[in-house]
Amino acid sequence: MVSETSRVTPISAAPSAAAARARAARRAGDRTSVLLLLPVAMLLIVGLGAVLSSSSVVAIREGADQWFYVKRQIVWILLGTGALIVTTRIPYRWYAKAASGIFALAVFGLVATLVIGDVRGGSRRWIELGPVTLQASEFAKFAQVAFLAAVMTRKEGYLDRFSHLFWPVAGSLTIVGALLLAQPDLGTAILIAATTFAVLAVSAAPLRHVVGLGTLGALFATVLAYAQPYRRARITAFLDPAADPLGVGLQPIQSLVALGTGGWFGVGLGASRARWSFLPNAHTDFIFAIIGEEVGFAGAIVVVALFVFFAIIGMVIAYRASDRFGRLLAAGIVAWLSLQAVVNIGGVAVLIPITGLPLPLVSAGGSAMIVNLAAIGVLVNIARTPAEQDS
Amino acid sequence: MRRPGWRVADLRLVLVAVVHVAAWLAIAARLVDVQGLHAEAFAERGLEQRVRHEELAAKRGTIFDRDGVELAVSISAQTMIANPSQLADPVGVAKLLAPLVGVEEATLVERLTREGSQFAYIARRLEREALDNVVALVESLDLEGVYFIDEPKRVYPAGGLASQIIGFVQDDDGVGLEGLEYEFDEVLAGTPGALVVERDPFGNPIPQGQFLVDPAVPGSDLVLTIDREIEFLAQQALTAAVERTGAIAGTVVVLDVQTGEILAIANTPTFDANDRSNLDVDRFRNRAVTDVYEPGSTLKVVTVAAALEEGVVTPSDVFTVPQKLVIHDKSYTDTARTGEEEMTVAEIVARSSNIGTILIQDQLGNDAHHRYLSAFGLGQVASGQFPGEVDGSLQPVGEWCKTTCGPSTAIGYRVDVTPLQMAAVFAAIANDGVWVEPHIVKEVLPGRGAPEPFEPKRRPVLNAETARTMRLLLQGVVERGTGTRAQIAGYTVGGKTGTTEKFVPGEGYSETDRIASFIGMAPLTEPRIVVAVVLDSPQGELEGGVDLRFGGVSAAPVFAEVAEAALHLLGVAPDAG
Repeated sequence: MVSETSRVTPISAAPSAAAARARAARRAGDRTSVLLLLPVAMLLIVGLGAVLSSSSVVAIREGADQWFYVKRQIVWILLGTGALIVTTRIPYRWYAKAASGIFALAVFGLVATLVIGDVRGGSRRWIELGPVTLQASEFAKFAQVAFLAAVMTRKEGYLDRFSHLFWPVAGSLTIVGALLLAQPDLGTAILIAATTFAVLAVSAAPLRHVVGLGTLGALFATVLAYAQPYRRARITAFLDPAADPLGVGLQPIQSLVALGTGGWFGVGLGASRARWSFLPNAHTDFIFAIIGEEVGFAGAIVVVALFVFFAIIGMVIAYRASDRFGRLLAAGIVAWLSLQAVVNIGGVAVLIPITGLPLPLVSAGGSAMIVNLAAIGVLVNIARTPAEQDS
Repeated sequence: MRRPGWRVADLRLVLVAVVHVAAWLAIAARLVDVQGLHAEAFAERGLEQRVRHEELAAKRGTIFDRDGVELAVSISAQTMIANPSQLADPVGVAKLLAPLVGVEEATLVERLTREGSQFAYIARRLEREALDNVVALVESLDLEGVYFIDEPKRVYPAGGLASQIIGFVQDDDGVGLEGLEYEFDEVLAGTPGALVVERDPFGNPIPQGQFLVDPAVPGSDLVLTIDREIEFLAQQALTAAVERTGAIAGTVVVLDVQTGEILAIANTPTFDANDRSNLDVDRFRNRAVTDVYEPGSTLKVVTVAAALEEGVVTPSDVFTVPQKLVIHDKSYTDTARTGEEEMTVAEIVARSSNIGTILIQDQLGNDAHHRYLSAFGLGQVASGQFPGEVDGSLQPVGEWCKTTCGPSTAIGYRVDVTPLQMAAVFAAIANDGVWVEPHIVKEVLPGRGAPEPFEPKRRPVLNAETARTMRLLLQGVVERGTGTRAQIAGYTVGGKTGTTEKFVPGEGYSETDRIASFIGMAPLTEPRIVVAVVLDSPQGELEGGVDLRFGGVSAAPVFAEVAEAALHLLGVAPDAG
């Protein structure tokens, strides 16, 4: 236990000493929180600039003023910051108790989306509520992480029995996955599955079970990906974009053109060419391509570094979490956000097939922004919560 | 207390973190590849899809008459095009626009509904009201997929005036096809400019993109020697004469004798360059320079002038002229004359005696005769400023036969000439013996740089004295000879009639058809203009049995009409009671 001396609270400590230690731990947690929020704030600023540049053309073309998406993004950031402040103050252990309710709410949202949602671009993903649209799948990401963390913590003693592991994992994933595929939104489904796998990986479940489930999930995802023609097309486009440069190959090619045009140092702020209707979804899924074009590799690698920094600090928070649930919840949130960024940028750089996931904290979009910042608030709360005595 | 599972789980957390970082490293490596090592190829592809090299059309030069009035001018017009694949309702758009742009509805529907089409003309070169109406409609409906491009239109404000001289341009690309529009196409066209611009997929320029302009150099303007009013009157007179005499065609040339400037060339039949649909290409010919004829008696002036200049005869020398002369296998006769007569050189000219002229040429000799024919510009292109201008034919003297060649040439056969060449011959006599190159372009006004005036070639052919003598002989023709119908009130006139049997290629000389001509000058005291009138196959007779086929009958009155009007327009003072 040598390696853990700094984190273990001795049983014999006097209450006053314990209080002092708790204060010290909270201060340490505050420092970690600041380190966590630093890249988050910087990514938000980068995102605002990138949204301005990438959305002005499409905004004007849609008949709005060029600041339309930026103004909305500012509103989302403000709302998200409000959510972050709230979640920072909610003791994270509450989510363990509320996990089933949260999960049920997410399922309700996904079902509602399928019933009353809006179809855009062939998918039913949004619920229109006056001027705003809600994306239940964003909330579902958090719900799945919280639910799994709670279940894994509660079943800690039985995890070596496969059925205790299998049914909650497979059950929750099947419900959420099926509802997402019905939209259809394979990207989010795969992301949630991968996040689930990450949560499993850091849990106490036996490695063979984790690997077994992971392999099963991967096989299942591959079959699903190839089952639908449009998904197969995206994979084909990834493998050979030039085969259909104006169809499915359009996005990969234009994305690479944008990145290549940026080169090492970029074409300058606001000077992106791709945003002039060459690259579809420039302000959402492909915002990283615009960043890479305008500020080049030099700027793009900074964005990558910010995400890596965020992931590492997040993992440190998970590592230092005061209890099992905190660790699983923190690791799940970090895995989700970091993986989503990897999948998004990987898609933009045509390292992996395009999945249609936005870049967290950067892409234009409301539901994602609020949920992401709220989840980061949860991370802050985990970081700032001292270990309970004699857990 | 921590359970043993924690330690394993710690390692697994680190493992998950490491996997994450590894994934990010893969992405960073990929970015190095895409944005660094292989950026060039992707950037190149981007340039290919954005950068357009476009041509900036140069404004075509204007053609002016001598007073600066526009004869051919390019006006701005817009062509309406569509990208049918962007049209929400192609059939509706076609039905809406067809009546406004003057295109048949069915045609337009067909153009806009063609499968997979990305480009279609709706209407070309819309101007003024039609354009305004269409633009207003497109704006009010916010029509997508419809565009306007500049495509200037060439118009000819003078309509059917000097049409064969000016010519016209091709409707599609504005390239000169006929007349000066063709001959001076490069000068008029200017040099197109180049535009390098980055455009988005809809064709809009990208503000931050490259934008390089190499402006077009506008085409040069041409100032012609044409006097619009003389041209108009010449055309009127000629058209009327052709109608009156039943001729197939006709040409009038008006020359300024001192400068060689062509004040007018009229041709009949003619056309209006603004509306050339269903026209016979024959009408496009500038017969004054493209068509040759045997000049007949009008060429006798060269024979006589040469003999006078060479000193072999004087005007008062008397020749014994028989009614008929047989040389080798050919017999020459004089019309309207009987028996043998004593005639002076002046009388021979005035009465246009073939035999008398042949006797004079006999004294002159073929070599000297040929020298003068050549010096007067025969057998050579007269101006070189017209497309399709011919040099006619004048055989080298070495190829002349010893028998009939000299005599036939003396009276204007065996030599093919254009009306312009003949006008220049008479202008040389009018201009105290100095031949001046006839020309139509007075000045080229470049888009950039100084005006370039045309300097005509000048060549003395006769002494001023000989020229004056010739003019007196020509005055006799008009006052008491074959050309009395060429007289003008208030001005002294000199000239020569010509009537030749029409040579029909492949058939030989026509029994009935004649080329009737009259070429004259006025005022004789100080000649200012030469007017040449050539009528192709005038028919019929005037009251009193006068045969219209004779130049003195059909062509001389046209001369009088045109010359009188021109002298008045030029402000030339009358010189006769």
